[in-house]
Amino acid sequence: MILTSSSTLENKKIIDYRGLVTGESLIGANIYKDLFSGVRDVVGGRTSRYEEELQKARDITLNSMIEKAEQMGANAIVGLKISYDNLGGTMGNTILVTAYGTAVKYE
Amino acid sequence: MKSTFKNRNFKYNGRAILCVAIGTGIGLLVYIIFLILHIDIYGWNLGLIFAPLSAGYVETIVANRLLGENIGAISAFILFIDTTFYSFILKNPTLGFNIITAGSIIIILQAAFPTLVNYILLVVVGGFLASFFKTIKEYENKIKNMIKNQQIFKWETKDVEIDADAMPVYDELESNHLINSLNFYFITSPEMFDRKHKIIRQFHSEVIVEKDNIVLQAEREKTEYLQLIRIKDGKDECLVKLASKVKQHGGNGIMDLTLNYSLIGFGGDNIQITAMGTGIYIE
Repeated sequence: MILTSSSTLENKKIIDYRGLVTGESLIGANIYKDLFSGVRDVVGGRTSRYEEELQKARDITLNSMIEKAEQMGANAIVGLKISYDNLGGTMGNTILVTAYGTAVKYE
Repeated sequence: MKSTFKNRNFKYNGRAILCVAIGTGIGLLVYIIFLILHIDIYGWNLGLIFAPLSAGYVETIVANRLLGENIGAISAFILFIDTTFYSFILKNPTLGFNIITAGSIIIILQAAFPTLVNYILLVVVGGFLASFFKTIKEYENKIKNMIKNQQIFKWETKDVEIDADAMPVYDELESNHLINSLNFYFITSPEMFDRKHKIIRQFHSEVIVEKDNIVLQAEREKTEYLQLIRIKDGKDECLVKLASKVKQHGGNGIMDLTLNYSLIGFGGDNIQITAMGTGIYIE
């Protein structure tokens, strides 16, 4: 499955439009994780725990899209857009990861 | 050329000093009058306010006449130091710090540094108040949820296991199928590939979903699950609305589709989902 943010595929001809595919996931609020990341921010260094969580959420989102595209008989997703939105939260940050694109078939 | 510039600069500075001196003189005069006439409230002389105010006012008027610009009410600052030193230290060294003293200091500072003090009052104090009310609202929600969940007397520390049967289910594939069976093209790319199309105009639709505040850590997983389902349902509804709008205008597709998720409302109580794009008719 080819994932691209561009409208076309290089050296490949898009022969059919299969539909819209979307995926969403949430990175949960966790007071302990937030505290830990806060400490890491203060003392320096990368907040690797958050990075791992973000990556995990992005993978869930993209896999969800890929599954839908495959079910529709597509072999590529073009015009892919991914966004990260902070939804706040009383106990810390809640991040919504969303992705969507157009499932197509190329030859 | 250089000496002309120097002379002009010297002349300007001289006039500026004169403006400050006139302002300071008037301010002192006002303060003396207030002292002689005992214009005070509970032993606190009003000259402390009016002297710096009048000094700054007079200085500004004179500076505008002589220099054609404002030089920053320096005399108000001088008066502020003079009067504060005289009243608080020399004349009344026992004057304690109370609400009247604090208020008067703010007023005097406001006269001396209007921009800075106004900024502090509007931005810092305003920000503090907004934050304070937000915190109050969060606690209100917390208590409401505690009562709702009857957990006011106990605080669970372990995550509650989700009862799959009791939770609403969102079928990803089914929902995707429904969206794509509207006989409508949702194109996320800014251009259409190999298809002739006619552009209609820009379209957008919005859906607002309620946001859950996670109060109990134990309920976190369940709350997030329900929140995500609500967001997904909201997105589907938003897309259906958008397709319906375009169809009403004779279109059968949307190009450069963009979805936005943002917090709205006091304290970010709701999530606004927006779908927008260019309506098209694909031949």
